[in-house]
Amino acid sequence: MKATIICIGNRFVPADAAGPTVYDRLRELALPTGEIDLVDGGLQGLNLLPLLERGGRVVFVDAVSGFVDNDADRLVLLDGAEISTWPEQHRFDHGAGIGYLLAVLPQVCDGEMPREIAVVGIEGTYDAQLIERAARLSIEVARHGLQGSR
Amino acid sequence: MSIVTRGVNIPLNRAEGDLEVRVEIEDGVVAEAWSAGTMYRGFEAMMRGRGALDGLVVTPRVCGICSLTHLSAAVAALDAIAGVEPPDNAWRLRNLALMMETIQSDVRQSILMFMVDFANRQAYHDLPLLEDACERYSPLAGRAAIEVVRETKRLLQGVAIIGGQWPHTSFMVPGGVTSMPDVSKILQCRIIIERFIAWYERTILGCSLERWQQVGSVTDLENWLEENDAHQDSELGFFLRIARQSDLHLLGRGPNRFLSYGNLVLPEDTTVGGFDGKVSRAGWAEGAEVFPLDAGKITEDTSHSWFAPGKPPLHPFDGETKPYASGHSGQVYSWVKAPRYDGQVAETGPLAEMIIDGRPLFKDLIERQGPSVFARQLARFVRPAALLPPMRVWADELRQHCMDLFYRSVKMIPDGEGVGMVEAARGALGHWVKVRDEKISHYQIITPTAWNGSPRDSEGRRGAWEEALIGTPIADQANPVAAGHVVRSFDPCLVCAVHCLQSGRRTGRMKIDSNR
Repeated sequence: MKATIICIGNRFVPADAAGPTVYDRLRELALPTGEIDLVDGGLQGLNLLPLLERGGRVVFVDAVSGFVDNDADRLVLLDGAEISTWPEQHRFDHGAGIGYLLAVLPQVCDGEMPREIAVVGIEGTYDAQLIERAARLSIEVARHGLQGSR
Repeated sequence: MSIVTRGVNIPLNRAEGDLEVRVEIEDGVVAEAWSAGTMYRGFEAMMRGRGALDGLVVTPRVCGICSLTHLSAAVAALDAIAGVEPPDNAWRLRNLALMMETIQSDVRQSILMFMVDFANRQAYHDLPLLEDACERYSPLAGRAAIEVVRETKRLLQGVAIIGGQWPHTSFMVPGGVTSMPDVSKILQCRIIIERFIAWYERTILGCSLERWQQVGSVTDLENWLEENDAHQDSELGFFLRIARQSDLHLLGRGPNRFLSYGNLVLPEDTTVGGFDGKVSRAGWAEGAEVFPLDAGKITEDTSHSWFAPGKPPLHPFDGETKPYASGHSGQVYSWVKAPRYDGQVAETGPLAEMIIDGRPLFKDLIERQGPSVFARQLARFVRPAALLPPMRVWADELRQHCMDLFYRSVKMIPDGEGVGMVEAARGALGHWVKVRDEKISHYQIITPTAWNGSPRDSEGRRGAWEEALIGTPIADQANPVAAGHVVRSFDPCLVCAVHCLQSGRRTGRMKIDSNR
């Protein structure tokens, strides 16, 4: 199945730079052309909608907060279908992120809805090892989906 | 005896950025206001020592909403340093992309960020139009809200075609553009523009662009609204009706001084008209009286900002960005500097553009009522009506001239200094750049929100929306919706920063500490 990995965040703000850092690592890994598209989603918010209208599988990589305890693994895998139902995400602002994007998508999609959406989340501070694991996990999910990666 | 409440924080969800607005309320109205940007950005320091062209890639990341505007300002500064005049087709493409970005921002802000406040059942439970407002603007359910997301998404596809990459296009370079769209691509853009015009006319205006352009006074506006059901039922018509019921013309006066850098350089060979080589005019206005802009009169005051003290207000070519977050606690309160024009506080944005361009409706509005939330938001609602016709023309001219130049060669960026001054969706944006030995030696950015959301200056003068908040009635301190209208009418936008997916475990929620 065709897949797209979209890395979200602001590389100039350390607390939000996990996604772009994973993006940089994925570029180094040279993903197979034609199988997985890699996108630097930056802070584009709603402007990413056209990337979600091409069917296939979409994997977001983003910083997360509040998902893990201090001593737990700081890498999490979330189901996009669940995120889109969180009511707190239904307000739009300039920084509208994945939640709003996923919630509004079914109503505005002009193309083919993704068959599966996942979020690879990185909680808190990170090091090269965590970034490496996040990069590998995002490729794994892009290839095999949520069920095949858990 | 007056009842004074100190230190009330105004909740500003949907404001873009690390923004805190604190007010002092006396007898139910705002008596004092302080607006604080709460995050140090430091892009200027980040740019020093980088390659001369790096601003084209780095500064568009300043903002996720108006990245093309930053790209436009960055490239204009480099054009000036290189002494190159891009060819007509480059201007057409640059302008089209910038206009698409501006229009999508205007429409999204109007519907998704401003009008949605009228679907606030707690604040507007007695508003006769409440149910209609909810049906139009409720998040993810309102008819208008969904349409706006869909239609603006389609419009932005034009930028992808023009820039050849989406997102994060950097297709503007000194000397022109890197893309040379063929006839079929230009035709695609033309179709996108035409479809958007049809939707904007049908849904936002309720009339043709030509009919709207005939509205030249407050009386015309009232007559236009009463003319037929289509006008009344349109989003603009609904805004006019609800603005009347909620007295938006009495809210948010502000400094009554306006600034615009002018925008959209005209190709030499074009049928689009404008002022002094641009579609919109550069100028300074006091009330409705307009004066030529002298960019040498722009300074940045840091007396109330967390920057190194001791310097007088400096022109951005001489400006410094040295964070200094200690001392003078209470006097300094923002990471935003205080830009001033000839020492004066100014408002910038669509209303400023309309006044400085001499648009008769807005000249009449300001002369009769003065600036207000109503005037500011009306300008944002209808600015696309002024931008869309030139877009149609330039798309056609591109088709006719598609074999002409798109780029003039620039081998290197010489030593020198240059400024890129453009109009972002939220107003005047400037990049002041110096290059030495092919590296950036100086970079200063003044954003529209620095103008509108500045703190006080050394003379104690409030920033534009601090001033606009004075006198705002606060009926319910827990839900100060009127103060929200005032600040939101400026479309605040600080620093794109933390977009962090948060969970409350069981409940799970997205907290967006978005900063610009």
